Amino acid sequence: MTLSEATINSMVDDLPLPQNMVNTLKEDAIKAGVTKKELEEIIQQVMDNYGYACVEPCEAVGVVSAQSIGEPGTQMTMRTFHYAGVAEINVTLGLPRLIEIVDARKTPSTPMMTVALEEGYSDSRDEARKLAWQIEATHIGHLGDVTTDLAQMQLVVDLHEKTLTQRDISVDGIAGIIRDKLNVLVKISEEVDYQIIIQPNQPSYRELLQLAKNIHNVTLKGIEGIKRVVIRKDSDEYTLYTEGSELNEVLKIDGVDVTRTYTNNIAEIYEVFGIEAARNALVKEAMDTLSEQGLNVDIRHIMLVADIMTCDGEVKQIGRHGISGEKASVFARAAFEVTVNHLLDAGIRGDVDELNGVTENIIIGQPIKLGTGDVHLVATKPVKGESV
Amino acid sequence: MNIQTKKQTFTRYERARIIGARALQISMDAPILIENVENLDPLQVAIEELKHGFIPVTVKRELRK
Repeated sequence: MTLSEATINSMVDDLPLPQNMVNTLKEDAIKAGVTKKELEEIIQQVMDNYGYACVEPCEAVGVVSAQSIGEPGTQMTMRTFHYAGVAEINVTLGLPRLIEIVDARKTPSTPMMTVALEEGYSDSRDEARKLAWQIEATHIGHLGDVTTDLAQMQLVVDLHEKTLTQRDISVDGIAGIIRDKLNVLVKISEEVDYQIIIQPNQPSYRELLQLAKNIHNVTLKGIEGIKRVVIRKDSDEYTLYTEGSELNEVLKIDGVDVTRTYTNNIAEIYEVFGIEAARNALVKEAMDTLSEQGLNVDIRHIMLVADIMTCDGEVKQIGRHGISGEKASVFARAAFEVTVNHLLDAGIRGDVDELNGVTENIIIGQPIKLGTGDVHLVATKPVKGESV
Repeated sequence: MNIQTKKQTFTRYERARIIGARALQISMDAPILIENVENLDPLQVAIEELKHGFIPVTVKRELRK
């Protein structure tokens, strides 16, 4: 005799559990079809396990987090590079990546984006390819051969017709961009098709060589900083993977799905989407890095780290220039690094230490506000009580 | 989440602190509040007392500033 949906709802709804656990429990109970006795037992076990997973007040969660991340960290490979699928895009993983995340580096060593496409673009290979050319930075080296003509003191660029049509760039366009960016004389050759002649402002040897070097750095099409774009078909839609990350620029392009586009550059996510998004990105990146190495760290430890890093409204690193270096207490800072300097500076300034934290109180030998140290006993009238 | 209102429950740290304080009192010859404790040491007596809710001590819980 299985229970009806309504009975299950009424039994599960009022449990003191987080909403998503209540929902999962409900769904599973309805799907499996349980009897009253079975559901009661399930609820009992769920409650027991939930209670076990809960943290009590005064518990030192930070220390537990530190150890829970630190121990698996010792098992991580020192230096690993991984090629993400067929895209052969190189991404830093393992310990170097984890260090990058907690150090809150401005740019990761291998920035990478996953660009989701909107409907109408995602199901057509041609549209996806067009978008890819709009994103990938195109330089003169991709489009043709540059030769330095020393006799005429000029650069001759022979463009490949096929590449131009493929990437949808005109000869005039290229000439215009080079003219604007380098501020030099650019002519389109009249004798040979698809040839551009560039002359430096002064006909000097040095200028010419300088120009030959600079011309390769001009972005003719696409977004500067994105070195490569790979198109991949994931399930039934095309997705772009980029080497290099410019979230703000990529999101401006028509056809890019803003809601599903992602970058592994946390600083960019913070700039574009704000601090909450940055926090989620920190959690996701750290969890992905750890689980890729086969290490199971509870997400709550990572969340605590991400919370501490982002709680001031900006992404701060853990360490000298971030959390540890900005602590309010003089003693806590002195305990971390360059002890004498901190104490001396504090003495000169006449700083006051409120002794609110753990480190300060350990240094001066007081009970710390943690565990039993944070319990204040009060005498009550001795009455015959019931069992507690 | 519903907040427990009825019986006061202690966290493990509060329990440890109460038992510790009470065991110290007992070890210094405080009157014992339960019977049949001949073979028990002060700590075990304190644990028994807490189990029965006889310890005239509670905890003050303050919100952090």
